[in-house]
Formats: sequence, C-alpha cells, structure tokens
Amino acid sequence: MPVAQGVLAEVFGGQRRRVIAGAVLAAAHQAGEAAVPVLIGWTIDRAVRGPALTGLAQGLALLAVVFLVLSLSFRFGLQSSEKAAFLAAHDLRLRMTRRVLGRYGSPARRTGELVSVAADDTQRAADLNIVIPRAFSSLVALAAGAVALLRISVLLGVVILVATPVLLGLVHLLGKPLERRSHHQQEQAARASGVAVDLITGVRVLKGIGAEEHAAERFADTSRASRDAAVRAARAQAWLEGAMLTATGLLLAVIAVVGGRLAATGQISIGDLVAAVGLAQFLVWPLSSLAWAGGQVAAARASAARVQAVVFSSGTSDEVATPAAAGPGTGHLVLTGVEHGTLRGVSLTVPAGQITAIVAPDPADASALLDCLASEAVPDGGTITLGGTSLATLDPGAVRVHVRVSAHEADLFTGTIASNIRAAAASEDAVRTAISAAQADSVAAALPEGFDTEITERGMSLSGGQRQRIALARALATEAPVLVLHEPVTAVDSLTEAAIASALPAARAGRATVLVTTSPALLETAAQVVYLRDGQVAGLGSHEHLLGADDGYRAAVLA
Amino acid sequence: MATRQLLPVATDAQTWSLARRLLRPHRWYAVATGVVLLAGTGAGLLAAPVLGEIVDRVIGGRTATDPASAFAGPALLLAVVAVAHGAGTAAGTAMVARLGEYALAGLRELFLRRALGLPLARIEAAGAGDLTARASRDVSAVADAIRYALPTLIRSALTIVLTLVALAVLDWRFLLAALLATPIQFHTVRWYTRTAGPVYAEGRIATGAQQQQLLDTYAGAPTVRSFSLEAGHLDLVRNRSAEATTVALRGIGLLSRFFNRLNIAEFVALSGVLALACLLIPSNSATAGTATAAALYLHNLFNPVNAALGLADFVQVARAALRRLAGIAVLAEEQQAASTSEPADAAVTVKGVSFGYREGHTVLHDVSLRIEPGERVALVGTSGAGKTTLAALICGVHPPASGLVELGGTDVSTMDASTLRRHVVLISQEVHVFAGPLHEDLRLARPDATAEDLTAALDRAGAGAWARALPDGLDTVVGDGGHRLTAAQSQQVALARLILADPPVVILDEATADAGSAGARELEQAAAEALRGRTALVVAHRLSQAATADRVVLLEAGRIAEEGRHEDLVASGGRYARLWETWSRQRG
Repeated sequence: MPVAQGVLAEVFGGQRRRVIAGAVLAAAHQAGEAAVPVLIGWTIDRAVRGPALTGLAQGLALLAVVFLVLSLSFRFGLQSSEKAAFLAAHDLRLRMTRRVLGRYGSPARRTGELVSVAADDTQRAADLNIVIPRAFSSLVALAAGAVALLRISVLLGVVILVATPVLLGLVHLLGKPLERRSHHQQEQAARASGVAVDLITGVRVLKGIGAEEHAAERFADTSRASRDAAVRAARAQAWLEGAMLTATGLLLAVIAVVGGRLAATGQISIGDLVAAVGLAQFLVWPLSSLAWAGGQVAAARASAARVQAVVFSSGTSDEVATPAAAGPGTGHLVLTGVEHGTLRGVSLTVPAGQITAIVAPDPADASALLDCLASEAVPDGGTITLGGTSLATLDPGAVRVHVRVSAHEADLFTGTIASNIRAAAASEDAVRTAISAAQADSVAAALPEGFDTEITERGMSLSGGQRQRIALARALATEAPVLVLHEPVTAVDSLTEAAIASALPAARAGRATVLVTTSPALLETAAQVVYLRDGQVAGLGSHEHLLGADDGYRAAVLA
Repeated sequence: MATRQLLPVATDAQTWSLARRLLRPHRWYAVATGVVLLAGTGAGLLAAPVLGEIVDRVIGGRTATDPASAFAGPALLLAVVAVAHGAGTAAGTAMVARLGEYALAGLRELFLRRALGLPLARIEAAGAGDLTARASRDVSAVADAIRYALPTLIRSALTIVLTLVALAVLDWRFLLAALLATPIQFHTVRWYTRTAGPVYAEGRIATGAQQQQLLDTYAGAPTVRSFSLEAGHLDLVRNRSAEATTVALRGIGLLSRFFNRLNIAEFVALSGVLALACLLIPSNSATAGTATAAALYLHNLFNPVNAALGLADFVQVARAALRRLAGIAVLAEEQQAASTSEPADAAVTVKGVSFGYREGHTVLHDVSLRIEPGERVALVGTSGAGKTTLAALICGVHPPASGLVELGGTDVSTMDASTLRRHVVLISQEVHVFAGPLHEDLRLARPDATAEDLTAALDRAGAGAWARALPDGLDTVVGDGGHRLTAAQSQQVALARLILADPPVVILDEATADAGSAGARELEQAAAEALRGRTALVVAHRLSQAATADRVVLLEAGRIAEEGRHEDLVASGGRYARLWETWSRQRG
C-alpha cells in the first residue's frame, strides 16, 4: 500500500472549511433531489382523488421551493469544493517546487516525471476535496431516501436499509480488481506517451540513420500494450456499472411489488406507492456516486503517494536556500581529503584572486567534485573550507553566493538573452564586462532581435556554441568571489575559444576562478593546474610544467 | 528567432474522414455495439410502464382478491428488465470502449509514424515543442474523451431518444409537456458554449504556460540553485499555477450556473407533466399509471440530459486535439516522396548550391564541391560559416534554393527517404540516447542485428569496455529515466548506430566536438574507425580532425574560401594556416 496519508491529510486539512461547506451544501442538494419523487407522488395522489387544482398549486409551489434549494446548494457546493481542490493542488505544487529547488539538491528523479507529478498528480490528489463532499452527500441522500421510505412504510424502509449495505459491499468487492487494472492502465498510458515524446525528441538522430520506420514500429508495440490495458480496465468498469444497474433494478422490482401489495391492501396510498418507486429509482444515483467516489479515492491515493515520494524524499529539503550575505567570507578555498563518489582523498587549494584549473579526464571525478563545490552534495569524507570556514556548517544558499558553479550543460531559462545574462548579475558594469569577455556580443549580433531575442524551449532554438557563450556571460556577470566553470567553451570554434581565454583573466581579476576543463587555451590562463587521475591528485603545477612532466596529462589535454 | 511556422491543423472534414478510416476495419463490431447498446437501453425503459401498470392494477382493484399473484407478472418482468438492462449496458459500454481504444491506438500510431516522417526542415520551422505537445497533451485529451465522455454521450443520447419515443408511445400529450424544457435547454447550451468556450481556451493556455514553467524550473534546478534564483523561480511557478487555478475556477463558476439553468428546464417540464396529470386523471382521459410512468420517465431523463450537455466542452477540447493530431497525418500523406532512383556510386557532388533559411538572408553562396568515393573531407570554418547547413543540404534535409546536390550521380531531391538513408547517414550535433534497453536503441539502426553484431559495433566505436560493464549489459535501460550515459558514451552509441547502419556515405557534424579534449581524442579514433571505407564529410570543430582528413575545405561566410590538403593549406599561409596556428600553439 503506497504511503499517501501525509499528503492527503494536507489536502484536506488545508482546505477544511471549504470542504465541509461543500459537503453540507451538496447534502442539501441531495436532500432536495430526494424530495422530488416524494412531491411527484403527492401531486399524483391528489389527482387520483379527484379534481386537484389546489393540490396542483400546492405541489408546484413546493416543487419550486425544492428546486430553488437544490439548485442553489448545488451551485455553491460545487464552487466551494472545486475551489478547495484547486487551491490544495496549487499548494502541493508549490511545495513540490520548493522541494525540487531545495537547498540540498533535487529529488533523484527525471525531469519529465517530476513535471508530471507537479502538474497532474497534485491535482488528482487534491481532487479528494471534491470526492469527500460527493461521498458525504451520497450517504445523506441514502439516509434521506431511507427516512422518506420509513415514513411511508416501515417495511419499505427496512428493505432499503438492508439493501444499501449489500449494494455497497458489491461495489467494494467489484471495485478492487478495477482499481488494480486502472492503475496498470495509467502506467501503460504514461509509458506510451513517454516513448512517443522520447522518439520525437530524438527525431534528428532517427532521421540521420533513417530509422523512422523502425521507431514507429517499436512505438506501435507500446501503443498496443497501452490499448489492451485500457480495454481491460474499461471492461471491468463497464461490468461494475452493469452489475450496479442490475442490482438497483432488482431493488426497484422489490420496492414496487412490496409497495404495490401495501397499496392494494390500503396500507399506503397511491401517492406513497409512486413516491416509493421514484425514491427507489433516485437511490441509484447516490449508490453509483459512492462507487465513483471509491475509484476516485484510489486514484487520489495513488497520485498522493507519487507526490509524497517526492515531497518527503530523503536527503532533500523543501526549504529553499536563501542567498544570505553572512557567508564564509573570502580567502582560499581549501579541499582537504575530500571523499565523494569516485574521489579518494582529494586535497587542493584554490588561492584567492587566482585562476586554478582542474583537469579531470574521468567525467565521474569531475561531476563528483562539482557536486561538492555546488553544495548539491555534502562530501562523504574530508572538508571543504572557504576562508577557513567549513562549508558544511553553512546554509548552502550562503555558500552559493560565494561559490558559484556554472555547469557544462548550463540551462537557460525562458526570457530574453539579456534577462538570462542579468539573472544573477552583480551590476550593469559586470554585465558589460561579462558579455564582452564571453564573446556573447557576437551571439546577439547574429540574431535578428539581438539581446532581446526570446529564448524558447530552454535554449534549444540556439546552437550549442551560442548557448555556452550566454551561460558563460551569465556566470561571469555574477562576479562571484569563487566562480567554478565546467568545460565552458567546448562548443565554440577555436578562434572564439582563444578570444575568451585571453579575456578571462581580466574579467576575473582579483577573484578566484576554478576551471574544470581540458581546453589547452583555458589551461594556459591558469596560475596553477591540478591534475586528477583515478579520483586522486596526480599532478600539480603550471600547464607548461605538467605537459612536460606527465605523459598522462599530456595525453589528456592534447588531442 | 524568426516567427514559428506552426504545423497544420486538419479541417473537420479531414478529421471525419480520418476517423472513418480508423474505424473502417471495425465497422461490423461497431454495428454490433450499437445493437447491444440499443437493446440494453431499450430494456431499461420498459421499467417505467411496468411500474405504471402496477399503479393501475392497485387502482383498478384487481389485486384485492389475490395480491400475491397480481404482482407476479410485473415482478418477473421487472427482474428480467433489470438483468437485461445491466448486462446490455455493460456489454455495450465495454464494446464502445474497445472500439474507442482501438481507434485511439491506430490514431496515435499513425500520428507518430507521420510525425517522424515529416521533413526535418518542417519540424524545425515549427519548433519540436509543437510535435511533443501533440504527442502527449493532445493524445491524452482524445484518450480522456474516449474513456470518459464517449460512453456517457452515446448512452445518454440513446436514453434521451428512446425515452422520447417511449413517451410518445405512452401518451403524446405527456411528450409535449416534457418538451417544454427543450427551448430552455437549447438556449442554455448556446449561452454556455459561447461564454465558456473562451474561458476554457484561456484555461488551456494557462495550463500550458504552467507546464512550460515547471519544465523550465525543474530541468534547470541545479542552475537555479547555483545562481541563487530560487525565490524568482518560486514566484514564477506560483504565478503560473495561480493563473491556471483562477481561470479553472472561472470555468467551474460557469459550469455551476449552466447546471442551474438546466434545473429550471427540469422544473418546467416536470410542472408541465404534473399539471397534465392533474387535468387528465380526474377527467379519466389518462390513467394514474400512465401519469406515473410519464413522470418517472421525465425524472429519469434529468441525469442523462445533464450528463450529455455537460460534456459539451469536453467534446470541444477533444475535437480541437483530434484536429491537431489529424493535421499531421494528413500533411505527411501529401508529402510522400518522389522516385526511387538508386545512386551509381558513393561519390558526393555539390553543384553551385545556394541556400538561406529566411528571405534575403543567404547562408550558402554558390558552393560547389565533389567528394570522391571513399574520400574523407573535413569541413572547417568559424561558427556561422554555414558548415552545418551544407551538411544538412547534402543529406537532403533542406532542398537547395538553387543548384544541385547529387549522390552517385542521382539528384538527392528526387530520392525517397528510405533510399536516401541507405546511402547517406548524418550524425548530427545532437546526441540523443533513446529511453529503453541499449540493444533496442542500437537496433533502431539495424533491426535484424544479432547480439554479436551489436557487441562488435560497440567495440569498433570504442564503447565495448563500458558497455560490458553496464549493470545488465545490453539490456540495461538507458536514456531518460534510465542509466545515464556520459556525453562521450552517448556519442559512441551514435557511432555504433552508424556502424550498424553501414551506409556508403557519412556526414559527421561536430559529433566529437563536445566531449572535452581527453574524451575527444578517443572519440576521434572511434570515429575514424567508423568512417573507414566510407565517403565522409566531417564537419571539423577540432582541427586535429582536419589534419588527418584527405582534404580540407574552409568555409567562410557561406563560401568556400580555401580547399586542399592540410599540409598544402598550412604551407600556403592563408586563412586556414592561421586557424591551424592558433589551434596548435595551445597544444604545445
């Protein structure tokens, strides 16, 4: 059984008043609906007894009142419970977003899954706030129907009171396998959709090797598995509904026959008989509504479990880091015996105000190191200090103000090129310096709208080289005391690379810069190069020195 | 970027013809479905007259002598009706679902086939987001409609029509009374579709914006953190979500008023039937049983009418989604290509080709180039010189504005896609590893490849060692959501696919550029291995690739500036020599 209680409790608890108001109003609506067949019976009864103009007038007046009540209570009840659901979903979505942006890193899940949980599962879980009023009002309707029948005849009331639990038991019994099937169906549908999107995302690759046809055939397999699961789920659903129809139909037959005999023997009136039959028909709705509610609760619980798995995933927090000025201060960045991932006791010093390069031919070493520097992870062993303060003792947000890491696949955000570069800029001057050092002005010059060009689809409308230069400008514009750049120029041509390398020292003058790179042009700018091999520091010195001293280094940086 | 050229949307007529085509193989099943549903619904409607008959028997006093046997007939009938109604409805609904799901599967398969078949230039002009949104959002909108709306709609429509027929058979005067509701219902639906339509359209836009923002923020979460942009992004998500919520609640407000108005219609019709009952029963022109049956019919009509009318918007949304899906299927059908002329050999000839993506903005000017069979030519130049564009033209991705591209003497634009791809493969800048087992990814290039073929291809691509070390070997799930491959490993997978596809001509577009120098050299070796024995045009970002090529072509501002052997060009001291000097100086 998936754990979902925490999220479901929040969904209800956060909107308690609206849900309760919705439930009360929905119950009033159902009571009104139950009164309609009673009034029909009452009016027909008057007609059977002879000319009935007063009876008709009274009946219609009462009917008008009943309709007014049921109509308005439905309207405001629906609005109240829907509002409770949408607002709860909104709250969950924000909570999830805080968790994804949390100070200790995102939950380990792929982006597509997180987005679908935040967009859809939050809503489905929050739909509990619609289900509760509806289930409650259905119970009230059943109770109202039973009371009305009891008033007509104890026998008829007893029939309903016995039949209702039996029918609800039937719903529960038949609903179990349905829940399983519909869960399977949802999984299959999500899979088919995921495969389709994945294939379309890789369409250039498919076209490059002419594999469109094979890909379409492979998708057809997934699509058919999804179809078959959907057919099975729908069949189970259909037979559940059919069974309910038959059961309530049989109940109607019992009520009609018992009522007919009571009327024939004069124990109840014709109007009572008509009302009893109408009530029996009316009760189909709350019964099927309860069946529906059961299914919805199952769906809400499954979705809530998915939300909960993210919101309470271990090692993450839903407090986002606050960029506090009270950071570690300035000074040397010192790693002492850092153990993390593939790193085995890495010790190195990044002196303040200098460019330090790190050559890590194994991508696993590089990413472990970058995770630690970006405060995305706390090293398993060893310490990282800045100006003598251990980073582990500080809020990651405070650390990041002082140590900024610009990833190799730096993401650009919706907005203009200018707004991306300015995102975390220290000043307008810094922006200008950064743009020119990163050669980003030539990116803008090549685009029709210049710096005002809108970035769409996370920068995919730009070439790799253009994206890198914008991301580099954004990083440089922060003027962070320590700036870590991971392979910032791999997608630019060699002349541009050389221009960036020559502008970098001036742009970062007086501040510490860490270049995790194997680009010779950048390595030449470094005062000191650290060479990592097999998770350990294997060499230290200038680029020139290491080229001469270490064949492994030479092979790693020179192609 | 330039304004997007969105992919087309089908007309209603085209959509209908597509739907008919998808359903044609199931037409007899569809007929059977109709019959079963009709029988089930019809059976259900027999209950009301039987109940009326019970009322009449009570009033007629025929029951006083032997109440037990008087109701045996109606009781049995009601039981039979209940079983037939339940079974018929269940079977019919299951059959509708099966029909719908089969048609839906056919639709999404056709859609994907056509979408992948679209010319790349067309996809790029529209933005890939358009296609992925159709593949996910529109498919699920149609699926929801088929799953939740279609069965209800069909059953409600059947119930409404049959009930009206039954009322007419019962007593036409009660039918007229019931029809008093129709003008109100008609007016209400018109009001609702007019007012709610724009609100729901706005809602879809707001939901789309929310989705986009979530994707933006979640995908970029590490970047958001490292630049301390959390507060700003939280605000963005909050605003987008709040907008979507506000619009959705406006829609709910309209919906609740819509049902209120339908309540008025119910009240009017019910009052009419009751008034008629009070007029006709005392004057003996109708029995109480008939009036009872009529009132029960009407009362039972409320739910189906509300359900059907309440789905009006659902249907609108699904229709729009369906038209977007059909638009792709129809478009691609028109573009099934030309002849199947086979190239004579593996030579590539470019004759006086010019090309531009936009009017008045020419990227390539009168480029001519010949690559001999088996020759390896490196294409160099600064960013924006037109290297990638030239590569795309040779692969037939874009047709040249003027001039001619030939493959073994055959005009590329006259070759159909599959013939073209058998002869020339493009490894583009974009590396994508397909989600799923690694062997499935590789077999995209050659579906009938044996496990040995796959291992051999990985070995030649330099990926043998790490591929063997994967947790489940070739069965390891890679790509989105699976085992994460590094950029260099992904590029090796691309090379392994190339080896498996085994084409005579290869265009390699900067595939090794983005891996960092260390990986780059390994990749260069793997690429050289993969290119062996093929005609190759290598878009060289790293000049080491140019140095080992048979010939170097330097592209500058869309024109061939220099062309010749690496050594000769270096010796000539021109533009290429300067590039080479910058490049090799940094590398000791």
